Amino acid sequence: MHEIIVHSVPGKYKQRKGRKEMSKSLKQNLVVYGMVMPAFLVVMLTVAYPIVSAVIQSFQDSATGAFTLDNYMYFFTDEAQKSNLAYTLYIVIVTVVVAIVVAYLLALYLRFVKSRIAKAIGMLYLLPRFVPAMCAVYAMITIIRDTGLINRIGQLFGVNINLGMMYHASGIITMNLWFNIPFAAMMIAAGLGGIPDSIIEAASDVGAGKIKIFTSMILPLSIKDVIVAATFVFMSNVSSFTTPYLMGGNSPRMLGIALYDQFNRYLEYNRSAALSVIMFLICSVSAGVYIYTNLKENDWEK
Amino acid sequence: MFKMLNPRRFYYAVGRRKFLEFILLAVFILFFYGPLLNMLMLAFANQYEVPNILPTEWGFDWWKYVFGQESLVSSMIQSFIVAIATTVISMIFCIPAAYSIARFKFRGRKIFMLSFLLTNAFPKIGIYTSIAVLFYKYGLMGTYAGVIIIHMINSMMFMVWLPASAFRNVHRQQEEAARDVGAGPIRTFFKVTLPMAMPGIAVATLYTFLGSMEEAQGTMLVGLARIQTMPVAMYGIVLDSSAVQIGAVFAILLIIPSAVLIFLMRKFIGPEAIAGGFKMN
Repeated sequence: MHEIIVHSVPGKYKQRKGRKEMSKSLKQNLVVYGMVMPAFLVVMLTVAYPIVSAVIQSFQDSATGAFTLDNYMYFFTDEAQKSNLAYTLYIVIVTVVVAIVVAYLLALYLRFVKSRIAKAIGMLYLLPRFVPAMCAVYAMITIIRDTGLINRIGQLFGVNINLGMMYHASGIITMNLWFNIPFAAMMIAAGLGGIPDSIIEAASDVGAGKIKIFTSMILPLSIKDVIVAATFVFMSNVSSFTTPYLMGGNSPRMLGIALYDQFNRYLEYNRSAALSVIMFLICSVSAGVYIYTNLKENDWEK
Repeated sequence: MFKMLNPRRFYYAVGRRKFLEFILLAVFILFFYGPLLNMLMLAFANQYEVPNILPTEWGFDWWKYVFGQESLVSSMIQSFIVAIATTVISMIFCIPAAYSIARFKFRGRKIFMLSFLLTNAFPKIGIYTSIAVLFYKYGLMGTYAGVIIIHMINSMMFMVWLPASAFRNVHRQQEEAARDVGAGPIRTFFKVTLPMAMPGIAVATLYTFLGSMEEAQGTMLVGLARIQTMPVAMYGIVLDSSAVQIGAVFAILLIIPSAVLIFLMRKFIGPEAIAGGFKMN
């Protein structure tokens, strides 16, 4: 890459460097940390501290404050909570798999087909990302509800179509795909855009077929972006709120809603803290994969 | 002209490849834009009885209704106040941090960047509820300051990661060239670095502003009905759903700021600029 990195870590300076350079690096360090600190403190105060206190609360009995695992046990023994967990995982996994596969195909199309239609889709797919979530959900409801557009079109042809998607997993998944396909496609397209045409031409010049080029070049070069996209799709859906709040049924519920109920309706702060931690642990599986792929330097990038 | 409406004729006229592309475009637009267009239509429907696909009477009745409701109008004003304040304050906090991350290698840099991932991995509601306890202690519940802090939590990751990747793409040599001809560090930053990193910063600003405009969960929890932004008011409307048109009008009003901002920043918005917000290097 083009950047030149300034090593300003004091320990790295050899002793025989002059005092003047030492003070310069000290000054630079002060400036760097001075610029980073405000944002860092905000994150510590508004994110890290609340998380730590939630973790502590999750192990405390709501009445006595004594150490207990009951808050966690509740979510793994209560039948309704267990089905909430299974329901959420089902929705999230279906969403991630379908969204990533469709997005990958869409990104490949946008990268390798140069037509007016591809250009148009390349513009249009950026916009759903900027539509407020609630508006998009509301718009979808006007289509799929029992008196929605699809039902009305059906009645025009004399059929009574009842999709049954409202208050059902399929409605939430449809909405999730609406949000996540453009997002994932965009992430992957950004990665594919970095693959130069020349190396693909070179490979096909030496006789590599399309499938060979894909499996041995395009896929390995873009897999990192696929993982980044999958991670964010996964994480945002585990704790999604707006879609299930407006479209989901009463039982089973997605965990985001269950958590909101524990806090707002039942005023069970310790249980809601425990559920937050459980959801965090689910997310951190994918966050771990993400961090691993991001920190590992790719061989071809060196 | 109407011959083209026959799919088979169309297929033979344009060829298989084009035909499939048209199908793709049609499916794409129907799925991603159909709902939004339908909602746009409903916003101008005075009457929308059940079996009819198109409204039986067009007009602005529901717009008058929405603007006649004082609570809805005040929620719009509150939304704008919160969104503008959130954007400006998070820029002040985050842009310098982003620049440092992009230009200097310092101890704790990776951990600093990772701490922003926390805001995405830990359920928001979990963070909000713990913060609410703090807010009660310091009297921030139901205040603008409290709501703005909640909104900042959502935006900080983009506000640091996106500009950081944009700053990194500005070549150091260009900054050095400006310094060589006598520009000071601050002038170099504002005249050279900042304009070149503008796409990333623009997208980050857009995200922050729009994210703040649509945040509802945390605002409901911390705003205590005293601060009622548009999305919070919208929850009430959607769940009451006395008339689908009220929600449609309100949703359109909520989309307008996005549409305006996207139009203004259209040349900055592209997959590369947006994707930068989700990667740390």
